[in-house]
Amino acid sequence: MSLTAKLAWRNIFRQRRRTILTIMTMTGGFVLSSLSIGWMDGSYSGMILFFTNHRTGQIQVHKEGYLDNPSIYDTIDNYSSVGLEIDSLENVRAWAPRIYTGALLASREEGSPSGIYSNSAAAAIIGIDPRLEENATEFSNQITDGEMLTASEADSSLRATGQILLGKELALTLNVTVGDSLILFSQAADGSGADRKYTVQGIVSTGNPEVDRTTSYLTLADSQLLFALEGRVHELAVMTTSLGEVDAAAAEISGVTGSLGLETASWKVFAREFYAGMKADETQLKIMLAIIIGVAALGVLNTILMMVLERRREFGVMKAIGTQPKSIVRMIVLEANLMGLVSIIAGGILSTIGLLILSKHGMVFDPPMDYGGFVFREMLASITPACYWIPSVSVMITSSVVSLIPALKAAHTDAAKSLRTV
Amino acid sequence: MKTQTENVIVTRDLRKTYEDGGVPVEAVRGIDFALTKGEFTAIIGPSGSGKTTFLNLMAGLDSPTGGEVELSGNLISEMSGKELSNYRRDHIGFIFQAYNLFPVLTVEENIEYIMLLQGVHKKERHERVMKILEQVELQDFAGRLPSKLSGGQQQRVAVARAMVSKPSLVIADEPTANLDSKTSGDLLDMMKKLNEETGMTFLFSTHDEIVMKRARKVVTIRDGLLYKTDESSE
Ligand SMILES: Nc1ncnc2c1ncn2[C@@H]1O[C@H](COP(=O)(O)OP(=O)(O)O)[C@@H](O)[C@H]1O
Ligand SMILES: [Mg+2]
Repeated sequence: MSLTAKLAWRNIFRQRRRTILTIMTMTGGFVLSSLSIGWMDGSYSGMILFFTNHRTGQIQVHKEGYLDNPSIYDTIDNYSSVGLEIDSLENVRAWAPRIYTGALLASREEGSPSGIYSNSAAAAIIGIDPRLEENATEFSNQITDGEMLTASEADSSLRATGQILLGKELALTLNVTVGDSLILFSQAADGSGADRKYTVQGIVSTGNPEVDRTTSYLTLADSQLLFALEGRVHELAVMTTSLGEVDAAAAEISGVTGSLGLETASWKVFAREFYAGMKADETQLKIMLAIIIGVAALGVLNTILMMVLERRREFGVMKAIGTQPKSIVRMIVLEANLMGLVSIIAGGILSTIGLLILSKHGMVFDPPMDYGGFVFREMLASITPACYWIPSVSVMITSSVVSLIPALKAAHTDAAKSLRTV
Repeated sequence: MKTQTENVIVTRDLRKTYEDGGVPVEAVRGIDFALTKGEFTAIIGPSGSGKTTFLNLMAGLDSPTGGEVELSGNLISEMSGKELSNYRRDHIGFIFQAYNLFPVLTVEENIEYIMLLQGVHKKERHERVMKILEQVELQDFAGRLPSKLSGGQQQRVAVARAMVSKPSLVIADEPTANLDSKTSGDLLDMMKKLNEETGMTFLFSTHDEIVMKRARKVVTIRDGLLYKTDESSE
């Protein structure tokens, strides 16, 4: 061990209480930073996964312009061949075609005269392919009552099932339950009137009452028939193998769809509001981390300044007998770094324990929290490399920077003055 | 012998004026002084007469406001900060009033400190430490921390630290001021014996009778000026 290292190591044991306090300050900063990063990372990837996996997909394909201004006429025409091509891409796990329209739904009490509807509500109609949708979003998990829509044999047969799924609150408004029938009034893409009778096949609860008050679901075939959209859809929702692959997959899909007048958007684009919120939170986290580090740094600066003042005479002796000032700087910075290293080890252990707990027992929201239109019941922390490297680098940089000024002060000790006893 | 008359250090018209809150304090006012190899010389004078300032100027710890210090033909006023630092490391051995050993280093480590700065090899370091510890009669204390030693013992370690790197000049500013008279006498006897054995040059300040009596030459300073020089009869 070099002389400087030996001195630094032994010096940190001189004022044990102060050293422990300094280490605790840095360890506290480490743990707070680590937990915040893990919590932020975990809750966001949890949210993103939740809303993309259960609803939107990580990537969506539409006709150009549809996202900015959705219209029933902006359709993807040869959707099944596009979908199959997308499905064959490496980073794609599943895909689901969808039709988005709206209609007036009306129900009638038992025994009331025909033509008289006692309950009605406007609702979004989402046409889904039961088999592909199940594969992509495990849609049937959201059905609280009744059954999933029956898959049509082949899409080309366009065999109508006459089945409809209603959001939970929508069913209450219409005062219907599974097995009841209702009438749907709308206008088809060709301008003709569209109305037809449907039987309630099941009740859907997405967890978001706002959505469930205004949404109903038909099979793709039924909605294509009703709205005169044979062979066409408005959206292809694509699920990737993992969140990390989204950008790569979006690029691949653009390669397939670019020439077809279609546009490909990842969740960062079609869920802009959420993404912007997340970025704002990230900025907040950065500010918070800066404050945590700043407070810890001030504490450390204080103790190192005190230490340097107390040992002034010693630095004078070191200089008098021929120690180079830069060795004194190195020694003091090393003392701070050694305390930093101990803090990193202690902080790493404590953070791991904390993160493990937060990743198993996160925060449960009751009632569920609505975040940019998506609803979450639980947030869990995740343990990522950033939980360790960011706090570690911060501790090392902080301890070096904060000790540098006192170290320079020590190195410039006037030996003659510091040694005067009178 | 020729070496007996060789000058180790020479000062010419050496001056130091401090600024004390705008008031100039003339601590050293033009001292011409020479020290030949192997001397064992005391600088005496009342408190505030300029002893410490004079020693610091010779040691290169303080820079003069006038005149010059020459050590073996080199003017220390012409040295850079780094050269001055190396000058002190290689040519000056310091003994302080308050011992000033490094509290976190053992006796052996304190003594080898300067040799470490000089890059002396481990084996040689150890041999030299053991030899000097024997000379200051502390061979059984090599592994102790300074806090476990008496004041007299600590100052003997300081003597060993100052001498082990074989400097041209050992400077001691009131080395006995913190010691009782018996211990002071013993320390001076030991230093004198080492001076005789090694031929190393010693210059120390004091206003202690016991110390003065043992010096071979006594230089008196008053008000920053050399007042008189007495050679002892022995
Ligand atoms: N850094 C300083 N600033 C101002 N005056 C000083 C300083 N150091 C010493 N002095 C003054 O210089 C004079 C000589 O002091 P010093 O060399 O310590 O004498 P001695 O060692 O003989 O007691 C004293 O008057 C002292 O007050
Ligand atoms: Mg003095």
